[in-house]
Amino acid sequence: MTPAFSDSSEVDSTVESAPAVEFRNITKRFGAVTACDGVDLSFQRGRIHGILGENGAGKSTLMNMLIGLVLPDEGSIRIDGAPQQIHSPLAAASLGIGMVHQHFSLVDALSVWENVALGEIGRLDPSAIRNRIGEIADQYGLVIEPDARVGELTAGLRQRVEIIKCLRRDPGIVIFDEPTSVLTPDESVQLFASLRQVVADEGRAVVLVSHKLDEVLHATDDISIMRQGKVVDRGLASEADARTLARGMVGRDVSLRSESAALGLLSLDQKALDLAPETPLGPPMLQIENVVVREIGGRVVLDGLSLELRSGEIVGVAGVEGNGQRELGDLLSSLVQLDSGSVVVDDEPVSVGRSGAMAKAGVGVIPEDRHDSGIVLDMTLAENLVLTDQSPVSNRGIIDQRALESRAQEMIEQFGIQCSGPNAPMWSLSGGNQQRVVLARELAQHPKVLVAAQPTRGLDVGAIEYMSDRLRAAAADGVAVLLISSELEEILDLSHRIVVMNSGRIVGGMNRSNVDLEELGLMMGGSTK
Amino acid sequence: MTTTARRLGPRISEWLMFYVLSIMVALLLSAILVEATGGDWRPVMNALLDGSLRKPGRWGETLGTAAPMLLVALGTIVSGKAGLINIGQEGQLLVGAAFATYFSFLIGGPGPLNVVLLLIFGAIGGALWAGVAALLKFWRNVPEVLSTLLLVTVGGQLVAYGLSQSWILLAPLADRGNRNQVSEQLADNNRLPHLEIFGNQIPLAVVISIVLAVIVGLVLSRTVWGFRLRMLGRNPRAAQRSGVAQTTYGASALMISGAFAGLAGAAMLAGGGFAFGNYQLVPGFSANIGWAGLLVALVAREKALVAIPVAFIFAGLRTGSSFVGATGVESKITEVIQGFLVLALLIPPAVMFLRDRRRARAVATGTV
Repeated sequence: MTPAFSDSSEVDSTVESAPAVEFRNITKRFGAVTACDGVDLSFQRGRIHGILGENGAGKSTLMNMLIGLVLPDEGSIRIDGAPQQIHSPLAAASLGIGMVHQHFSLVDALSVWENVALGEIGRLDPSAIRNRIGEIADQYGLVIEPDARVGELTAGLRQRVEIIKCLRRDPGIVIFDEPTSVLTPDESVQLFASLRQVVADEGRAVVLVSHKLDEVLHATDDISIMRQGKVVDRGLASEADARTLARGMVGRDVSLRSESAALGLLSLDQKALDLAPETPLGPPMLQIENVVVREIGGRVVLDGLSLELRSGEIVGVAGVEGNGQRELGDLLSSLVQLDSGSVVVDDEPVSVGRSGAMAKAGVGVIPEDRHDSGIVLDMTLAENLVLTDQSPVSNRGIIDQRALESRAQEMIEQFGIQCSGPNAPMWSLSGGNQQRVVLARELAQHPKVLVAAQPTRGLDVGAIEYMSDRLRAAAADGVAVLLISSELEEILDLSHRIVVMNSGRIVGGMNRSNVDLEELGLMMGGSTK
Repeated sequence: MTTTARRLGPRISEWLMFYVLSIMVALLLSAILVEATGGDWRPVMNALLDGSLRKPGRWGETLGTAAPMLLVALGTIVSGKAGLINIGQEGQLLVGAAFATYFSFLIGGPGPLNVVLLLIFGAIGGALWAGVAALLKFWRNVPEVLSTLLLVTVGGQLVAYGLSQSWILLAPLADRGNRNQVSEQLADNNRLPHLEIFGNQIPLAVVISIVLAVIVGLVLSRTVWGFRLRMLGRNPRAAQRSGVAQTTYGASALMISGAFAGLAGAAMLAGGGFAFGNYQLVPGFSANIGWAGLLVALVAREKALVAIPVAFIFAGLRTGSSFVGATGVESKITEVIQGFLVLALLIPPAVMFLRDRRRARAVATGTV
């Protein structure tokens, strides 16, 4: 393999002072799995260091060692040249290391300043905290209303609260773990502008952990690529190019369509190869008619939504997040009660809110948040494969343990699920492999309709290609596929037909073959032509 | 298989060491306490062992005490698996015993059949009392952890009222002498038989409870119903989507939980013996067995088979303590010692639970 960078030694020679962080020969094993394998890596002050790698490459483990959640088995960590044992997050904080986690740890019921003050020791001084928030806001362009309730903020603003929480302690080393996975494209651009500010002013070292090639390429100074626990390549962002980075990440050439789409390398006006469904469109499989759903508080979340899906087609639901996509997924998972309207699957009306009604009617779901309704973390992999239907592995109400395991073994092989065996607890699997379990289970039910909500979110490149292929194959087999995604590239890549969701209803649609991006953007923004 | 064995190996020794250490600390503290209050710790320790195991007939007594605790614990495990926290076993047990008493005398009938009916009515009574909490939860969204607890008091008052009325539970004047609030005594042939082994009287309830522990363990781990119940407990939304209705599964789990407590009450009534009185219902009949059973389930970490030895240990503490009083140590001190020992049993699972949680979270948020 050729390196992505012309000369990687150049980086080290240009810097004289001790690096802010230096990993030396770090190894960490979890049981039989080696998460980090002899990693040597250093981060400099005043620079943004991107760590690129697929899920399970060892990026998170490495960062968890830096913030004291995990101790290395071998090797040493030096902070500003001095060897340190980081036993706890508190120890990390005292060394000036802060992290903005991928999953927010905020209290929804509290206001912004109260969340920022959490963890504070001693007397609480609201005005001082408000002032500090104001300072940080001015300095880094992270404008926020200190008295706003966190539960009412958008994902982008919540992340801003997390960043302020982190920066308030004035850390010298800041880690961002997959920061854009919850942001709209606009919000991502803003985030990277702030990131630049954080580095520029006080000579901080910023680490950006990501699996998105495009953002690492554009937002960082140095890039290290991890694969299977090792740093396989490193160098300057200015000398890197996307194709070679992709090859470093995946370990092979990336030429496939969905992979490129996932990396942001697919240009939007590029015509997809097979726009027409591979099989002629069949009869309507899913008919949603004028559906209204209210939240417990009374807010209308689905407001007269109508949608029809035919056998064999992939329909992409585009839209800015928070316009009812989650509720549409819940509707098709029997998780909400209808206020009015009807849902018909294969000509049979479904009593939506009855538990299991949708699954029984033949609606398979890959949920937006698999931890929410897709899997049970505390049960085994084999058990998770039969959540919706235990009949293949049971006889008169008794579960046949051997059948359960052999069925799981089959699926593990068929879907390439990496795990320690059928009885591995579900929480021990990586996100991508958990997603494969969901996919395997839902496809094994031979669904009439398959709902895939943000199916590739948080997945690595190889897994995305895999998921896309499976969805295409399902459609070719006559399944009606509903793809709900906030990533337009994904929708353009996969869908035969695109509909746009806004304020809880479908506001328009077009065929992929004559897609008009401008009009699509307008509809997503809520303006009808 | 080898990997699981390797993973279990250090875990079990870790557990044992933790328990031994924790109990030793409790014994040490108890010894210091006894000495500090002017007693001598050696006779106290001897009395604990004499009372629970060594003296003739005592381990049979301990087994007899363990049986209802185990039954209560099994019920707690069933509702716990469904994600429901039933802490009202003390009341369900008492109501079950009252049901058993009432219907046993109402129906009469031949001996062995009546014993079976008595146990069944005990279970029904407990199930109905827990059913009140289930109804409140699934009809009006009242948290079961509150309703079950508060219903203990209500149940106690209702049974006390029943015991004051001769048309309900109060024994005819001729049978109760000058005592108030006491039910009629079960006839000889309406009592649970005892097995006699090496001079120990072992009530049949011991056998029943152990068989039920095995059954509960198997039902939870090996049946579709148990599978779906665990799904409901671990992820209610996944369960809802998969066709496990919270109302039916949750309510049945709660009622089964109550049924076990009620069965324990009936077994205490029909089993009699040193600990549980004279085959008749009296105020305070439940004797804290409901609370003890709750602790057993907690220490056994919701594992039915583990609950068997745990129930025996808790029962041993109880029967052992009853001998400590004879050493001249003040009864308050005995109670503190018992408290130390219960804490010693509760701390290891709590610490391990927290540690596992932390470990699991670290794995879930960060690694492969």
